[in-house]
Amino acid sequence: MTLAETQELFHGLVTGELPLDAPAIERGFLGTDELPATDRVAIYRNMYIGRLVDALRETFPNLARFLGEDRFGRLGESYVSEHPSEHHDVARIGRRLAEFLREYPDPDRPDLADLADIEWARNEAFFAPDSPAVGPDTLAVAGPGKVALARLRLSDSLRVVGLEWNAASFWRRMESGELPDPPVPGPIALAAWRRGFEVFHCTVPMEEATALRTAMDGEAMDSICAAFADRPDPAADAHAALASWFNEGWIAAVSVDPAA
Amino acid sequence: MFQRLDLGHGIGLRTKHFARFLAEAPPVDWVEVVTENFMADGGRPIAVLEKVRRDMPVVLHGVSLSIGSLDPLSEPYLAALERLVSRIDPAMVTDHLCWGSHRGQYVHDLLPLPYTEESLAHVASRVSAVQERLGRRILLENPSSYVAFRDSTMAEWEFLSELSRRSGCGILLDVNNVYVSARNFGFDPIDYLDGIDPDQVGQFHLAGHSDKGRYLLDTHGEPVPPAVWALYREALRRFGRVPSLVEWDDHIPPLDEVVAQSRKAAAIEAEELAPVLRRAS
Repeated sequence: MTLAETQELFHGLVTGELPLDAPAIERGFLGTDELPATDRVAIYRNMYIGRLVDALRETFPNLARFLGEDRFGRLGESYVSEHPSEHHDVARIGRRLAEFLREYPDPDRPDLADLADIEWARNEAFFAPDSPAVGPDTLAVAGPGKVALARLRLSDSLRVVGLEWNAASFWRRMESGELPDPPVPGPIALAAWRRGFEVFHCTVPMEEATALRTAMDGEAMDSICAAFADRPDPAADAHAALASWFNEGWIAAVSVDPAA
Repeated sequence: MFQRLDLGHGIGLRTKHFARFLAEAPPVDWVEVVTENFMADGGRPIAVLEKVRRDMPVVLHGVSLSIGSLDPLSEPYLAALERLVSRIDPAMVTDHLCWGSHRGQYVHDLLPLPYTEESLAHVASRVSAVQERLGRRILLENPSSYVAFRDSTMAEWEFLSELSRRSGCGILLDVNNVYVSARNFGFDPIDYLDGIDPDQVGQFHLAGHSDKGRYLLDTHGEPVPPAVWALYREALRRFGRVPSLVEWDDHIPPLDEVVAQSRKAAAIEAEELAPVLRRAS
């Protein structure tokens, strides 16, 4: 066999793309009476699944806690067979787990995908690059009368997630070791971020989530504040939201287009 | 000749022990970290590593370079490795003689290669490319293996030695892996040690394994067993003073227990090399 043929065969056997078929295995691998080649290859296959399910468990601890060892293991195995790792960092393996759970929903817990979304957002926040945090005084860079033209660079760790169900409560109860409530319909929006080494998340009003996404898209302050237009007092709500963003350390920089 | 560093005795830096390393400089000469766990540009892991680096030498030990794969070397991986090397200034950059990616998919395992001339030429050219990219020599570790290939034409130690000769890479000799593979394939681990040129060895690894009855599994979840300590003594007699590392990755005990294993390695080294030193003086 060439090296290419060997790697194609071995990879297929390890990942389960190929069955552990003794004749095929014995063409490429040597075994002993005590440990035949098929059993030797099976060691790698078992380790492959086990390692990736362990990585998923680390990223989605509350989903794993809710489902229990066996159900989470079966979920992980099905997921990995459909979405094998495409990144050198095994911690990225869960990137599409929420999407997978939406594709194959649990009729009793339709909020599992949203729980996975929260845990993935927290995972991303944990590994995000560090960002500075500036205070509201930086808005002065815009100059008199030009605050509406200011643009915000948000913290690299900040994630804004839209959820169909109120899985924030589900997450909180699993985190504290309590039994979960039944699924609570949403929609809700949630922000996750890191301060220092600690990851936080909180629910945010839908219009504030829109404003955050607008800021992430690089739009100017007038567009950001337009997200609050339907509130009874848009200016007060926009001001309160912006104050809390500065307070939480979500704003890394304020800039103004020099041509403005 | 491979320029061997005089680092002493280290341990693997694991998340469970971060708090101790942040609060103090535990009594180890150096630490090794799993490269991929520190490639993120921010967050706690890299901050801890930078603090530890101020206290002691750090060795980067990768698991995803996939040096034996037929996939192209991953540019994002090399770029991240380059950034980390520049940020940490490690004493050594190491990885494994294995492959773990195929058609763009990662199995996150250290799959062995058939030991053939084709594999040798392929791996040697990739080692050279990585070394050129990083501007430094890398070390490759012998994997623990459970399968052997019909097409192999040479023993692992012959392959590794020739790879080192052709590419200039160093050998990270994992003593536990030699023992595990020897038991799994029925060869004499002393033949393995005798087949390696001492000048090519830049580091030793020591770890525990699990006895699964029909085979040994390289779990890094137990203390170094007596048979591996005995083989370590044999390695010391052949290779002399080599930076040694105790790995513990599963069922990780309190830091003091891992440090005690490292101190034990130092004591064994002192016992084994004392006659040599006496003769030299």
